[in-house]
Amino acid sequence: MSFLEGKIYFVRRALRNMRQSPFLCVAATGTVAVALSLLALFAVIVFNIQQVTSRWSQEIQVIAYFDEAPQGETLRQWQEKIEAYDAVSDVLFVSSEEAFSRFRERLGQDADLLDGLPVEVLPGSFEIRLHPKERSRAGVAKVVEALGQDVPAADLRYGQDWLERFESLLVLMKMFGAILGGFLLFATLFIVANTIRLTLYTRRDELEVMSLVGATPLFIKLPFLFEGALQGLCGGGLALLSTFLLHAFFLRRGLADLLLATGGEQVLFLPLNAQIALLLAGTLLGFFGSLFSLRQLVRV
Amino acid sequence: MSIAAATSLDLTESPTTNGRLSVIQLFNVCKSYGREQRALDGVNLKIPKGDFVYITGPSGAGKSTLLKLFYGGEKPSRGQILVNGMNVTRMGGARIAQLRRRIGIVFQDFKLLSSRTVFENVAFPLEVQGRKRYEISKKVFQVLKHVGLEHALQKTPLALSGGEQQRVAIARALVVDPLVLIADEPTGNLDQEVSLEIMELFRTANARGSTVILATHDRGMISRFPRRQVILEQGRLAGDIDSSGVDRLQEAGVA
Repeated sequence: MSFLEGKIYFVRRALRNMRQSPFLCVAATGTVAVALSLLALFAVIVFNIQQVTSRWSQEIQVIAYFDEAPQGETLRQWQEKIEAYDAVSDVLFVSSEEAFSRFRERLGQDADLLDGLPVEVLPGSFEIRLHPKERSRAGVAKVVEALGQDVPAADLRYGQDWLERFESLLVLMKMFGAILGGFLLFATLFIVANTIRLTLYTRRDELEVMSLVGATPLFIKLPFLFEGALQGLCGGGLALLSTFLLHAFFLRRGLADLLLATGGEQVLFLPLNAQIALLLAGTLLGFFGSLFSLRQLVRV
Repeated sequence: MSIAAATSLDLTESPTTNGRLSVIQLFNVCKSYGREQRALDGVNLKIPKGDFVYITGPSGAGKSTLLKLFYGGEKPSRGQILVNGMNVTRMGGARIAQLRRRIGIVFQDFKLLSSRTVFENVAFPLEVQGRKRYEISKKVFQVLKHVGLEHALQKTPLALSGGEQQRVAIARALVVDPLVLIADEPTGNLDQEVSLEIMELFRTANARGSTVILATHDRGMISRFPRRQVILEQGRLAGDIDSSGVDRLQEAGVA
């Protein structure tokens, strides 16, 4: 038997096995699909929470308020100095007038409350935005320390309390995601391996006869490994499809409400590399599920 | 390999019996399941090439275990086993598989694959060996004709009678022209008349050169087709009677 003939033979045998026991084939594929759907749904939720938190972190900035705003040359010098900090991406000067008109805009219908107040009631400020990498407590601390020396007159605001809580929330979420994801992955592996073991168990006569008539262990295992991988791939595909449908019809709205996302922000589906990873995970689950079960069943 | 294995066993005798080469040799073989249960205990045995041997004894005497040791279905707890000059005790999965390609095995419960046709069942050993398709078809048809089932090619085993199923199983064993044909109670589930037909197939296989080893406790069958009998009792060799009725074990003063 040539190399290619051999390959075709194994594929043919695997396909025949699947045709002969369609129920088992559906059961194994279905188990992979259900288990991976759970994992994929979890991934969609985690992915979207990550999106939201990364949007929140964009808002991490330092604002320096001035009782008496610098003007002309001083303003330009200070601005340039701050812009030269490593952590800073840009500095925007907001004058009292600008601050007043922004505030008016934000108040909307209640803007008339501001009637009669002088413009100087709101202080002028520098809005200092940080590079994405520096948007953390440590990054902010660096900038605040430098500002304390260079711009002593300013009153610095950077939401200390909020920043601390935000960071501990992020740590908690990462830990929770890793633990829950880990459990889910193990549960998936366990369920899939057991289902495959059951399907192989119903074929133990065939495995036994093969071994008795002189089939090498590899010869016995190859079609089953191929079958496992194929069922895993199909299961992964089904999981992807069902997660996509769930996302399109339910998750998009439900998650948007939950995450307080405003109209413009979309609840996203898994990125392409995660979709490919899901298919790959299905294939590997099927393959290794078969491999482990075969090691127990095929003893020559 | 056979020389290396033989020297390592410190054999003082040559691997021949009555001038014929031994196809199976057992040296002080023990097999235990768990701590207490001893299925075989210190068995020494030589089966020359082309012999026809009954393995007899009461149920639980160790007949099936002994047969399993011949084809590597079990490993001995102690002792050495040579099959066709190769030491089975040291073989890994792939080499055991190669060995089994030269051994035909027949069981009381046939062990046919019910989802496959008679043709596919018989073709299976050749398929496993990677033989060419036309070669497989030709050989399978020849063998099925020999056992008288050429009309049942496309039937599944469950559509056949017990005797016919056993003939399919024998065809599957014969299709590889086995060096050794091993059968574990092959007529145990069959009536007298069918059993005789089955025995005739084993006799023909033996006449064509295969060594036949047949485990049975059917005394009637043994007296009808007298051949060498190896008798087991509680895992020990209790007798080794040749076809003329002489107990070689007693002659040797062992039993």
